[in-house]
Amino acid sequence: MKSIELLGKGEEMYGRAYIKLNVNELEEAIKKLKENGFTHFVMLSCIDWLDKGKFELVYHMWNYEEKEHAMLSIDIDRNNAVMKSMSHLFPQIETYEREIHEMYGIKFDGNTRLTPFLLENWPHAPPMRKDFNSEKFVKQVYESIPFIEEDENEGI
Amino acid sequence: MKEYELFIGPQHPGITGNMMYHLWVDGDTVTKAECNVGYLHRGFEKLMESRLWMQNIPLVCRICVPEPDVNEAAYSMAVEQLMGWEIPDRARYIRTIVLELARISAYLMAIGSYAGSIGIYTIPQWSMGDRDYILDIFEQLTGARVYHIYIWPGGVRWDIPADLPHLIEKTLNYIEERLKLYDDVLFENRIFFDRAIGVGKIPCNKAIEWGVTGPNLRACGYGYDVRKLEPYAAYDEIDFDVVSYPDLGKFDAHEAGDAYTRMIVRRLEIEQSIRIIRQALKKMPEGEHILKHPNWLRWKVPEGYAFSRVESSKGEFGYFVVSDGGLKPVRIHVRGPSYTHGINVAEKILQGANIADVSQILFSLDICPPDIDR
Repeated sequence: MKSIELLGKGEEMYGRAYIKLNVNELEEAIKKLKENGFTHFVMLSCIDWLDKGKFELVYHMWNYEEKEHAMLSIDIDRNNAVMKSMSHLFPQIETYEREIHEMYGIKFDGNTRLTPFLLENWPHAPPMRKDFNSEKFVKQVYESIPFIEEDENEGI
Repeated sequence: MKEYELFIGPQHPGITGNMMYHLWVDGDTVTKAECNVGYLHRGFEKLMESRLWMQNIPLVCRICVPEPDVNEAAYSMAVEQLMGWEIPDRARYIRTIVLELARISAYLMAIGSYAGSIGIYTIPQWSMGDRDYILDIFEQLTGARVYHIYIWPGGVRWDIPADLPHLIEKTLNYIEERLKLYDDVLFENRIFFDRAIGVGKIPCNKAIEWGVTGPNLRACGYGYDVRKLEPYAAYDEIDFDVVSYPDLGKFDAHEAGDAYTRMIVRRLEIEQSIRIIRQALKKMPEGEHILKHPNWLRWKVPEGYAFSRVESSKGEFGYFVVSDGGLKPVRIHVRGPSYTHGINVAEKILQGANIADVSQILFSLDICPPDIDR
């Protein structure tokens, strides 16, 4: 795959290139892919790996000519969640960073618009984090809703 | 002149749903626009993490109200990637038919609401009525009119009833006849030319970098369509054209990337969808419509990262699914086309527009706030 050749690392996963990078390599990697045909920035995803103590950020890029999808993945520390903003490379990254800032509490240095996006006046913890239990939250805030116990291994 | 602030939405007929635009105006010219969303936020992505793989199917379709089937298809395709499933041929054709019917109904809705925004109120009445004939087909096929919960991982839920192809053909013939009237009243109407040509232009050299996809990108002159780039369902076995500027058939091509071109592209794509459905009905093979599936309650999906994309009527819809091999997904992230069209693109192209054009620019981008909020 072209992106794996360009960056010299990564693996193919279900027909997509999955490339694990160090945080300091990311900006150069996005620039390099952008210059080489990966002109469409698809989205920026965040995954909370609570047991591993890290957040994973996945930058999805698409090449219209080669018909190739590349996922650039970096890990950042869960306790010190700060990342450099990439919004100067593609304008829509600004919105994705706003959302991740709100939902996971990751701070993006250099993004000047980390204003409330979906949740205005939200005083609680960032809700998409794995340790935010929404059922417990609902029970605490709106006491009248019953709490349904569930078996982890058996499903419902 | 003094600058004023103007708030449009969330309850306003000139806005494409429950969202709000905060405008700064100088006279009647917009100098700055900011999009404000969150009125439809229901935390779907969080909810999906606490549900079984199968329980998410009735949830995902609610992410896009006018065209829910693309969500079911994209989610199912991502799960099938992780499972390593090849779906039966008959299911691929049924999916194609369902997705194209949904596309026509979404385009009818888009054209109707756009026409309303420039004051031609006949079209919304007609198009919503005509859309109902497609919903009738869905009702016979799936039992539901809006949210079908029909496309499942491994195939489709039920086989097509024996008499349905006849009803589909009848409805397609009807819509084809009606399109001529739509042309007379809207697409060949002087009001449409005067209002739409040159308005709300997306700079074509920036379109891809800004993340524009779907009909909005094709109106800028790029003939990119996920159905051709990464064929899913049965699109690789079906003959159809990608409509893009400047090749607009019987309509005149004026400026690339403006409201006029975007609406003409949508109008022409209805014809292509009709063509696709007719071929799919003819070519559909006999056989199974769904794979033999595991016990849904104890169904574990192998570990990995999968990404699937489909072409919706609004643009590229993508699902990023992460599994750790358990009963429930670790993370599902939805890429909605309106995320870029409604926020970054709209905020940029609204600058310099007239207040009277704000609403038609938003409708011509076909923004659907539920896929921003999720």
